Amino acid sequence: MAQQRNTGLSRRRLLGAAGAAALASPNIAFGQSRQPIRIGVPTILSGRVAQLGISSRNAMQMEVDRFNAAGGLDGRMIELIVRDSRGTPAEAARLAREMISSDGCEFILDCEPSSGGFAVHEVVRETGTLTLHVNSETSSLTADPRQRFWNAFRVARQGIHDSIAGGAYAASVVRARNLRRWMTISPDYAYGRDTTAEFLEYLRHFVPDVQVVGETWPRLFQPDYTENITRLSQGRPQAIYSCLWAGDLVTFMEQASIFGLLANTQFFGVNLADYTTLQQIRNLPRGAHSGNRYLRNFPDVPGNRDFAAEYNRRFNTFPTNWSWQAATAIRLLTTALREVGGTSPRAVAEKLRGMTIESPFGTDGRVTMRAEDQTLVGYAIGWGTTISTDPFVENIQPADWNTIFRLEAEWKRAKGWL
Amino acid sequence: MRAVSDSLRGDLLFGALAFTLLAAVDLGLGSPGLLDFTIRFATFALLALSLNLLIGVTGLVSFGHAAYFAMGAYAFGLLMQTGAWSIPAALVAALAASALFALVVGALCVRLTEIYFAFLTLAFQMLLHSVILAWIPLTGGDQGLMGGIPKPAFLGIDLARQDHLALFSAFCLIASTVILRQVVRSPFGAALRMLRDNPDRAAFLGLSVFRYRLGAFVIAGTFAGLAGVLMSLYVSGAFPSFAFWTTSGEAIFMIMLGGITVFLGPIVGAALFILLNDRITALTDHHGLYMGAILLVLVLGLRKGLLDFVVEAWRERKERRS
Repeated sequence: MAQQRNTGLSRRRLLGAAGAAALASPNIAFGQSRQPIRIGVPTILSGRVAQLGISSRNAMQMEVDRFNAAGGLDGRMIELIVRDSRGTPAEAARLAREMISSDGCEFILDCEPSSGGFAVHEVVRETGTLTLHVNSETSSLTADPRQRFWNAFRVARQGIHDSIAGGAYAASVVRARNLRRWMTISPDYAYGRDTTAEFLEYLRHFVPDVQVVGETWPRLFQPDYTENITRLSQGRPQAIYSCLWAGDLVTFMEQASIFGLLANTQFFGVNLADYTTLQQIRNLPRGAHSGNRYLRNFPDVPGNRDFAAEYNRRFNTFPTNWSWQAATAIRLLTTALREVGGTSPRAVAEKLRGMTIESPFGTDGRVTMRAEDQTLVGYAIGWGTTISTDPFVENIQPADWNTIFRLEAEWKRAKGWL
Repeated sequence: MRAVSDSLRGDLLFGALAFTLLAAVDLGLGSPGLLDFTIRFATFALLALSLNLLIGVTGLVSFGHAAYFAMGAYAFGLLMQTGAWSIPAALVAALAASALFALVVGALCVRLTEIYFAFLTLAFQMLLHSVILAWIPLTGGDQGLMGGIPKPAFLGIDLARQDHLALFSAFCLIASTVILRQVVRSPFGAALRMLRDNPDRAAFLGLSVFRYRLGAFVIAGTFAGLAGVLMSLYVSGAFPSFAFWTTSGEAIFMIMLGGITVFLGPIVGAALFILLNDRITALTDHHGLYMGAILLVLVLGLRKGLLDFVVEAWRERKERRS
C-alpha cells in the first residue's frame, strides 16, 4: 500500500519536475547566453605606482559601461575583474592564472608594467588565453619574434617609437639652437638605460656631431637629487635628456628649479606631459620640451576632449597615458567581439590582427593593431614645450610615422629580429 | 638505530599517505584553482620549512633566505633555457648552485649571532638582488628571465601540464618534509637544538659550533633552492623580486603564522598565508592593511603561531586529564 502511494507521488513529482524543466529550459538557455564576458585585469593598485592601475581601471570601466549600455555582445555584458599584484611579477602570474582558471575569465587585459607584463605573458603563452598587454612599453615584448605567439597583443606605446620620435624632434631643436653639449639623467634600471641609449642613438642618427658629456643615473624612487643636479651643473650642458617619470620627475624638476639648473639649459623630458606629473610640479618651467604621454589637446579633436571631460567628471582627475591605452584596448576588443559575434579566442585574435579602428588617440583619427608583430601603431606621438598653466604643453609637433616605421625596421634588422 | 629506522618508516608512511591524499583530492576534483594552490602551497611551504631549520631548530634568524630561493630559480631557469639540460639534471645542478652559494655565505655569516647574523644574511641577499639587476645580459635585469622556461617531459612527467606540476610539487614538498624531519630528529638535529639553547655548553662538550651551524645553513639553503625551482616552473621565469627582502619577510611571516616550535608549523603557516593572501587580494585593494592587522592580532593576541597554540592547548588538556 505504502509502496503504491510512494510510486504515485513519485510519478507526480516526476511529471511536475519535467513540466517545470520544460518551462524553465528556454530561461536556462536564455540565462546561459547572458553569462557575462569576464575580463581579468592584473595590475598595481597600491604603493608608489598605484596610479598605473587606478587610471587604467577607470578608463576601462568607462569604456565597458558604454559597451554594456549599448547592449553588450548580444546581451552579454562585460565584467572586469581587477586585482592588485602589488608590483610583484610572481603575484601577477598567479593572479592571471587564478583569473583564467578559477574566475572563468575569457580574456586578460594585462595592465602590469613591463616586469609583471612579461610574467603574465609567460602564463598566457601556456594557457592560450587571448591577452592584450596595456602598459608594457618595453619594445622587445612584441619586437622580438621569440616573444611572439598568436594570443598576445600590445596596446601601448613602446620605447623604440618614442625614441625615434624624440630623436627626430630633439634634432630639429639642436639644429635651430646649436645645442651640441648634452647630458642625461635617467632612472637606473632597464627601462631608464634602454630608453636613454635609444634616444641618444636616434639623436645622433639625425645630428651625428652631438656630444654626450656626462650621464647620471639616480635610483628609482630616489627622494633627493642634489648629487645628480650638482653633477649636471658641473658638466655645463646645453641640453639635458631625461626619462625619469611620475613622482621621480616631479621631485627632480622641483629641485632642479631651486638650483636654477634649467634656466640656461634646454630640458627634454619624454615623460613630462602627463597630467599627474604636470599638475604636481609647483613651478612648471616654461619652455621645457616634452613628449606627449596623455594630453587632452593632443590630438586636438572633440573625441579626445570628451574622453578627458567624462573621465574628469567621473573620477575628479584627468586621464593618464595608461588611461588612453586601457580605453583603446577595450575599444579594440569590443570591436573585434562585435565583428566576430562571439568570444572564440582564435576568431577574435584573427580579427584583431591588422584591425584599424577610429580613435581619438590616433595620429590621423585611427589606430591600427599591426598584424606582423601584433602591436599598436598610428597612435599620437608628438613633442612640444611646456607652459605653467593649462593646457601645459603648446606648439606640439606630431611625429612622422613613416620615419618611425623606417627606422624601427632598421633597428629590428640590426637586432636580427627581421 | 632501531628508533631511527622506526621513525623513518613512520615518516615515509605518513608522507605516502599525505601524497596519496593530496593527489586524490587534486585529481579527483580536477579544479585548476586547486592545482594552482597546490603548486604555490608546496613552493612556499618548502621555503618556510627550510627557513625554520635555521630559526626554530638552530636559533639563527635569517633575513636573507630568499637569496637561495632566487639562486635555485635563476640557476634552473638559465640551464633550461640553454635547451641542453633535462629537468632532473637542471634541478640537481640548481640545488648544487644553491648549496654552494649557501656554503660561501654561511661560512661568513654563521660565526655571528642574533642581529649581526640577521643583517649579514640580509646584506648578502641584497647583494645577490643587485647582481641580478645589474647583470642584464645574463639575468634580464629588472625585467626578469624572459622567454619562458622549456619543460621537456621526463619519465612520463610533463611539467607543462598543471596537474603534473601540482603532483610533482606536492611530491617535492612531502619528500623534503620527510628528509628535513629526519634531519631534525637525528643526532645532528639534537646538536642544532643544543646550539640554539646553549651554544657555550655545546662548545665545551666538544661540538664545533661553526660546522654544525654551517651544515644547517647549507641544508636550509638547498631546500630553499628547491622551492625556487618550483616557483620558476610555476611562473615560467625568474624575477629579481625572488631575491628581494620581502620574499624573506613573507617566509618569516608564514613561520610566525603557523608556529616555530612545531615541526609542521611553517607548512600550516604557508597554507594560511596563501589562503589569506588570495582572499584578501580578491576582496580589497588594501592588501597590506589587512595582512598587517592579522599579523598584529597574532603577535599581540596569541603571542605564538597557530600550531604552537593548538599543540600547547592540547598538551595542557592532556596533562589536566592525567
